[in-house]
Amino acid sequence: MHISDGILSTQWCIVWYVVALVFIALGIREIKRRTEETPSYMPLLALMGAAIFVIAVWHIPVPVTGSCSHPIGTPMSAIVVGPFATVVLSAIALIFHAFLAHGGITTLGANTVSMGIVGTFTGYGTYVLLRRVNFSVWIAAGMAGFVGDVLCYLTTAMELALSINPGSVLYHWGLYSLGFVPTQLPLAVAEFIFTAAIVKYIADTRPDIIAKLGGAIDG
Amino acid sequence: MDNFVRNSLILLVICTAVMCVAAYAGYASGAGMEGTDGIVEEHAASTGGLEAVEIVPNVGAYGDMGEYVGFTLAGIIAGFIFGYFWIDIKEGGQRA
Repeated sequence: MHISDGILSTQWCIVWYVVALVFIALGIREIKRRTEETPSYMPLLALMGAAIFVIAVWHIPVPVTGSCSHPIGTPMSAIVVGPFATVVLSAIALIFHAFLAHGGITTLGANTVSMGIVGTFTGYGTYVLLRRVNFSVWIAAGMAGFVGDVLCYLTTAMELALSINPGSVLYHWGLYSLGFVPTQLPLAVAEFIFTAAIVKYIADTRPDIIAKLGGAIDG
Repeated sequence: MDNFVRNSLILLVICTAVMCVAAYAGYASGAGMEGTDGIVEEHAASTGGLEAVEIVPNVGAYGDMGEYVGFTLAGIIAGFIFGYFWIDIKEGGQRA
């Protein structure tokens, strides 16, 4: 989902930057509030930031398609530290990714929208919704990872189509989505597994961490 | 070290090992394994006559050593920042 510099038009880069900055501002406010309430929120944020950085940059080969891609990690982070804080972590991770030839600076807003906002909030929303209808923690968390991952890539496809093919957005959105999906589906399953495993593990062993920090383990 | 920390570290090592083995298997098979981000982006750019440009210096461009240096610097900077705030976090702001 990393879009490089030079691919999106200036107009769309600005639009995505504005959207991302609104969420980042809300996220910074949320982080300040929670850190003042609970100082131990900061090291957990750092841990989640490092996790997002590594998970979203490590390309995993998918032998059946002969290509590779990566999970995103933001649904897991959203469940543990909250969605708005995850947007900030995601933006920071994406800045570092740009130095590893993943993404870019002019497209930072667009990449933050797909990974940090859509991936985060759809995953978080899925988790909360499934917990409210009494699905178990691991199924709710796993589905959060799966849905967040897939929708993140569909958003990237939409960003490309809106900017490059304004005359045939829907056709090219479908075309670019089909380019992503075969490789991304197995990785979305991987995202299901590790999100479910990690959230279930924390919920079982240290629910106090999440409860104290205002996460969503209890739905 | 309590059970939570020990099991977390074991899980971390297993995850890292699985990713390393998967990456090695993929590249050793010689399938190319180009990233889908790049494939789709190139296709999309070609429909609009665009080309990706490099604005940010890429540490990978300096070979493996560039990545080692880049990650080491990032680790040092993050370590200093984290270490500076550690007293506030652990001691509730009782900095000496």
